[in-house]
Amino acid sequence: MSLKSFSPFGTTRELEGQIDEFLNKISEGGLSFRGGLAAYLEGRLAVAEEKLEQLSGLEKRCDALRRSIETTLYTEMLIPESRSDVLQLLSDMDDLLDGFKHSLLGIVVERPNVPEGERGAVAELGEQVIEAAEYTVRAARAFFRDAPSIRDHVHKIGFFEEESDRVALRLTRQIFASELPLAHKLHLRDAIRGIAEIADNAEGCGDRLTIFAIKRSL
Amino acid sequence: MGTTLFFLTSGLFLGWSLGANDAANIFGTAVGSRMIRFVAAAWICSICLVLGAVLGGAGAAHGLGELGAINTLPGSFTVALAAALTVYWMTRLGLPVSTTQAIVGGIVGWNVFSGSSTDMSALTRIVTTWVACPILGAVCSALLYRVTVFSLRSVQPHLLRRDFYTRWGLILAGAFGSYSLGANNIGNVMGVFVSSSPFREIPLGSWGVLSSTHQLFLLGALAIALGVFTYSRRVMLTVGQNLMPLSPVAAWVVVVSHSLVLFLFSSTRLEQLLVDWGLPPVPLIPVSSSQAVIGAVLGVAFVQARGKALRQVRWNTLFSIASGWVSTPVVAALISVLLLFVMQNVFLEKVYHQEAYCLSHAALERLQQGGIDVTALEDLEDLTFSGSDRFSNAIAQRLRLTPEQSALVLDSAHLQPTLVTTSLLARLDRRILTRNQFQAVEQLVGRRFRYAWQLRDTLAVSSDSWRQRPATPVHRWHNEQLDLAWQHLWQVLQSDRSGSDGNPAAVHQNGSPLAWGT
Repeated sequence: MSLKSFSPFGTTRELEGQIDEFLNKISEGGLSFRGGLAAYLEGRLAVAEEKLEQLSGLEKRCDALRRSIETTLYTEMLIPESRSDVLQLLSDMDDLLDGFKHSLLGIVVERPNVPEGERGAVAELGEQVIEAAEYTVRAARAFFRDAPSIRDHVHKIGFFEEESDRVALRLTRQIFASELPLAHKLHLRDAIRGIAEIADNAEGCGDRLTIFAIKRSL
Repeated sequence: MGTTLFFLTSGLFLGWSLGANDAANIFGTAVGSRMIRFVAAAWICSICLVLGAVLGGAGAAHGLGELGAINTLPGSFTVALAAALTVYWMTRLGLPVSTTQAIVGGIVGWNVFSGSSTDMSALTRIVTTWVACPILGAVCSALLYRVTVFSLRSVQPHLLRRDFYTRWGLILAGAFGSYSLGANNIGNVMGVFVSSSPFREIPLGSWGVLSSTHQLFLLGALAIALGVFTYSRRVMLTVGQNLMPLSPVAAWVVVVSHSLVLFLFSSTRLEQLLVDWGLPPVPLIPVSSSQAVIGAVLGVAFVQARGKALRQVRWNTLFSIASGWVSTPVVAALISVLLLFVMQNVFLEKVYHQEAYCLSHAALERLQQGGIDVTALEDLEDLTFSGSDRFSNAIAQRLRLTPEQSALVLDSAHLQPTLVTTSLLARLDRRILTRNQFQAVEQLVGRRFRYAWQLRDTLAVSSDSWRQRPATPVHRWHNEQLDLAWQHLWQVLQSDRSGSDGNPAAVHQNGSPLAWGT
């Protein structure tokens, strides 16, 4: 145990700040994704590119924060009984941000042509996915302060994941029922799947958080 | 000097065993839950142990004198060796054992071997604590755990901040527990050697002097610290992990409960405080830290049982620990008898001095005043018995006595010729004796006493400071201090006796014949 860990609150405060910043960035990632998707659907490609840049910046910052938190947790021997859970949580949250970035990257780079009639449904799918991610961030915050309330947040994550699945399925059915060329259909299907996967990851993260909460119960 | 130093080695071995075993009670849960690294725990524990032993160990030196007074240095060496071997063996098995239990077993073994009678009331009281201590530890930890959980749920501190508080809580509670352990248990390790300490006082300038007793305790504490560093890791993991998986908060509760139980049963100041407030005092009984900590772990388990945590208790481990509590004193007693036999017959060392008992006219008068009908004992007048067992048997054939009456008869007949000399005065510790007590002893220089009680009675007549007060809670503090003063005076007198009259009974190492009022 180094002397640093004995300095009153020094390391603890710094780490608390880093974790809060990390979760804020994940939340911001959802907002950037929402802006990028909406801009793309409205044909404002430059704005979508800008949001993608923002997401890349957030991802870099989150990676740096995660490494710093991991290193501090191990070198300062902090929260030994919850350390692995925290690292798993940070990794899951980072995956959420990666999901936002890769999904928007695929859309901006591959530019799938979304039919006029399906744009509203795609935007709705995006909203469901962002809500699921947002509740995951809330559950993650609760893990650090109010573990019993994690269950409420996880319930919401499950709800939005189901909603996103429902919208994604409806969209896929409509696309494959249309007269579009098969290549176009497959391209759209992949884009939809990429967006919906974010909610699936959020649900997986929520499930693990439930277990972490049980382990932390006093 | 060389011989004494050699005989000290068994005490040091016992100290090492104690460190290897008892440090686990304090830091086992913290190390087991990975909140504190073993090396950090070992340093904190060792430093606080040494401080506790040197600064607060003087009062505990009389140890277990009531149970049996080992009266030769080779006897003390052998009993300490038997206890140390027992603790070492149990520690090797990874079981937390009580050093006090091992010493109790060793002393009982010596009593059996030397034909001395064991004070059954003292033994019963000590054994009772072996049951009461884990129960109290469990109650204490269950209450503390509930309060802690309620507080944490109300305040909801950040996980990292909670970790911070818990870690510091563990360090502080561990430091407090280590200090208490050093102060309480150094008497068990080195108490038997106090009166024959080979060290001389070292002046420390304006800081005062480092007395020979302090040096002896320092040496013992260093042996304990060595035990902590070299061998305690395994027992720490048994306490911290094997019995039941503990969260850091639960670990803190266990350490605090354990320290509170020790404090509750050993703090004369707390007792006095309770008396001052008009509350019933807590009996001051030597308790085992091993039992306190196991009880505390179970207390947490019972509270968590609502969450099915009781199922997590490894009952096999608990059973093996509990069986260790039964087997420790028995094994220590057996090893003690065996080693005493070897010491006496192979190494030709005198492991005990046969105490003599004689019912003189004065002794019979004292018994009469004590409410015992001495008519049946008159044929024993002026007959000298060697060994308390034979004397007790002779008495038992003539009279049916209560344990208290038996103790009075033994005390009244125990021959302990004593001469009060000026050299005695120089060796009396003025911090233990009050000025009035010291002056009363000073007035007796040159006088001889056949029995210890004659000296006590003479002192009580000459000074109020040596007079026992009624056994009410209000006077308990005074009487306890009087006991300490008498034990110190008697210890110094006995070591003086060896130098003055050459009596082989002189080296009366451990404790006084009987405490005041018993």
